[in-house]
Amino acid sequence: MATKFRVELVWTEGEGKEAASIFLTSDGRVILQGRGVPAQEREALALPRDADLISVDRNHIRAIKDML
Amino acid sequence: MFLRNYWYVAALADEVRDRPLGRTFLGEPVVLFRTADGSLHALEDRCPHRQLPLSMGKMIGDALQCHYHGLRFDGSGQCVRVPGQDHIPAKARVRTYPVVERYRWIWIFMGDPALADPSQICDFHWLTDPEWGAKPAYLHVEANWQLVVDNLLDLTHLAFVHETTIGNMALVEHAAVKVQRAPNNVLVTRWIIDQPAPPTFVKVGKFTGNVDRWQIIDYTPPAFLRLDVGASPTGTGAPEGRRAGGIGMRNLNAITPETETKSHYFWAQAHNFEPDNPDMTDRVFEQIKTAFLEDVAVFTAQQRAITLRPDAPQVDINADAGGMQARRIVDRLYREEQATAAHATAAE
Repeated sequence: MATKFRVELVWTEGEGKEAASIFLTSDGRVILQGRGVPAQEREALALPRDADLISVDRNHIRAIKDML
Repeated sequence: MFLRNYWYVAALADEVRDRPLGRTFLGEPVVLFRTADGSLHALEDRCPHRQLPLSMGKMIGDALQCHYHGLRFDGSGQCVRVPGQDHIPAKARVRTYPVVERYRWIWIFMGDPALADPSQICDFHWLTDPEWGAKPAYLHVEANWQLVVDNLLDLTHLAFVHETTIGNMALVEHAAVKVQRAPNNVLVTRWIIDQPAPPTFVKVGKFTGNVDRWQIIDYTPPAFLRLDVGASPTGTGAPEGRRAGGIGMRNLNAITPETETKSHYFWAQAHNFEPDNPDMTDRVFEQIKTAFLEDVAVFTAQQRAITLRPDAPQVDINADAGGMQARRIVDRLYREEQATAAHATAAE
């Protein structure tokens, strides 16, 4: 992969709570740090079985909104 | 767009003496001077009689005398003499601004004087700390203050603007930059691990092997940027905070808006190796000054282009992340300041 340049963005909320990282890569992607969604959770929440799903911190969404 | 309720650097401490110094901050003309006991004063630089800048006048004792008709004003802004008449009109006074001398700089507060708390002055202790050698300087720049902030928060321009001084392509092509955004702060960090030290570092740090280098940019609004750069021998723990055996420098920047298209740029270079050696301080300063002048040429040219076409669209790239976050903070603080001012006006 030819991704040479990346920027990691970390947000800190007012009360000092840090959002996990968001990575901007030189090939134009935004990569979020989160955890994969296990099969059990996919089933319980009726989420797609085969899609690439990650669960991210709520602070991520606030940070992305701010970033954009 | 200016943020008013903040302390800004107005002058180098030794620029303000017993003769008036006229300078414009945030679009307002100000005259600075010291009285005989060394105390500092900042007045509106406009005689209330016929509007000549008071900075064209001269000090008569502890009063500033207007060059046009000789009205004299004391440090409180009050007219104390009108030549040829005993009566001093009640409106013959000018606005004063809070001023403080700290870190070899003169600081001014352009907003509501009731909010002028000197404990809020941004920390630049490296300029007076005996553990550090430091030299401050002043540049007048024909560019908007935020263009200077953008420049300092971006590490990738080093490879192009400073190709022959402090930059190389490795800074761009294999960079991993971390941008940490807090409500009122942006920290841009970059580590270069286990690489040969650049020649200037070898010279002053006497490194014999590879080093771990850091570049950490700390932005505090409105326009204070403190760059922490240095190197330690690889494997001695600098990324974990142990910098013993290494060298460190601080590049210190305080930008004060003059108008929307001009700025006062106060900067300094500090170093923690041979701090008592003024020759070393001069040498380090001169190396960095060359790079600074390269930057000044860039943002003055940017300003010319922006002035010709203010509404031209701009494209953002990854390397702008730090600068964009700084602008977002300024935008938010500006909105908050305007809302507070509107609320105060409505309450009156």
